[in-house]
Amino acid sequence: MGLAFDLLLAGGLLGLALQVVASRGLFRSVVLFIALGLLMALAWARLAAPDLALAEAAIGAGLTGALLLSAYRALQPAEEAADPGPAALPRWGALAAAVLSGALVAALGWAALGLEAPAASAGREALARLGESGVKSPLTGVLLGFRAIDTLAEVVVLLVAFLGARVVAEPLQRAGPGPSAPGSGEPVLTAPLLRLVVPMGVIVAGYLLWSGGHQPGGAFQAGAVLAALGVLLRLTGRLQPAAATSPAERLALVGGIVLFSAIGLAGAGTASAVLAYPEAWAYPLILAIETGLAVAIALPLTLLFSGSAGLRWRER
Amino acid sequence: MTLAELLSTGLLGLGAAFFLTGTVGLLRFPSTFARLHALTKADNLGLGCVALGLALQADSGWVAAKLALVWGLALVAATASAHLLARCILRERGGTRRTPP
Amino acid sequence: MSHRGYAVETLNLAVAAFLLLNLLAGLGRVHRGPGAADRMLAALLFGTTTVAVLLLLAEAMALPALRDVALLLVLLAAILAVAFTRIPRRPDGAGR
Repeated sequence: MGLAFDLLLAGGLLGLALQVVASRGLFRSVVLFIALGLLMALAWARLAAPDLALAEAAIGAGLTGALLLSAYRALQPAEEAADPGPAALPRWGALAAAVLSGALVAALGWAALGLEAPAASAGREALARLGESGVKSPLTGVLLGFRAIDTLAEVVVLLVAFLGARVVAEPLQRAGPGPSAPGSGEPVLTAPLLRLVVPMGVIVAGYLLWSGGHQPGGAFQAGAVLAALGVLLRLTGRLQPAAATSPAERLALVGGIVLFSAIGLAGAGTASAVLAYPEAWAYPLILAIETGLAVAIALPLTLLFSGSAGLRWRER
Repeated sequence: MTLAELLSTGLLGLGAAFFLTGTVGLLRFPSTFARLHALTKADNLGLGCVALGLALQADSGWVAAKLALVWGLALVAATASAHLLARCILRERGGTRRTPP
Repeated sequence: MSHRGYAVETLNLAVAAFLLLNLLAGLGRVHRGPGAADRMLAALLFGTTTVAVLLLLAEAMALPALRDVALLLVLLAAILAVAFTRIPRRPDGAGR
């Protein structure tokens, strides 16, 4: 039965991916892409990778869908004015590109099949020495213990992406979800929904942060949940775009990176190496870093969605 | 097969049937509003049956509590989504505006 | 799970496979439309179905963390509908 499920899932994923790029109409592709994200979460679940399924669910359901819908909104007038469709490629050109890509994929697959599995992989080594990292979850152990430098760089990349978006966002007048339709009040159920979902979301983010130490979860998942809540608040007008980044927002943007770097550098003195933690303090230090990172991940993502430099709370 | 397993099997089957009803409704019903009915009701009943059926298989009360939480949140999300979508479709077709409170 | 029969596990997977088949059948509505709202409805159905499948897989694969994934999905399910209502309507109501 497991095999039947997996075949159905794999076939569905491939078919859906094809439909996303091949279907006519932008909105149809957006909805198909949302469905693709859900099937991806199921695929990660079947591959026994709940960490990735969590990230896919938070990003796919909370961020990508909303982002694509608001991008669709921004594109709509342009699409109405002139809809040239995708740039026309001559038939022989498309065929040649398809054959060449197919040959490339086949060659890569052939090469991959011929590879011998290495006798000792870094993954097994990491799993065997998980006890040294101070946490029980293999993923958190690798992300914040054995390969902390990668994680630090990833968060820096996110900050740089946000700064880059700010540089080019100025001429983009249509960035973000835009103003609400004038003349229509807020739907009655929005306020009760927010009152329930936002506190629950904060609790779930905290739960994911805490559970990262011993089971699937961690800073990235918690950050994605917080960012999704930010997107929800921005969409319902609770958070309004602001032209300037407030000092508190600046602190949150760089705080996680500064904390991570400071603890990492201190590791040169207190532990054996840079980005190593003193053994007795490993777990609390990792938890502190993860909390800072979750905020440093959530805020840039929300601001990128909002298309503004800052956000201000507005009570209704 | 114990009684709990039998009940659980029945509930899972019932849940699957509700999901099937929802899909058939989504594909066959003639208007958007009718499809909205088919979905938000049949689906969440189906999810409830599946959750209850799984709760009977669960080892601990915590698992059952989490399943109940998932179902409760699904009901809230479906209610809000159905309301928002219905309002949206109504406005789109130039329908009536709610009188201001 | 060790103490539980193989039959129950197979049943859970079979129901999950059936629900997945339902989801794939629902894609027909995304293609037919006719309006944007109809397509959005299908996306909502997919969300609920995925949650049910995740709950079944959590039990069948003995991976309790998958229940957290389901919890996350239902928590964030309403965001899509909220984002959808922010798209301005065209007077003729034609979606794509």
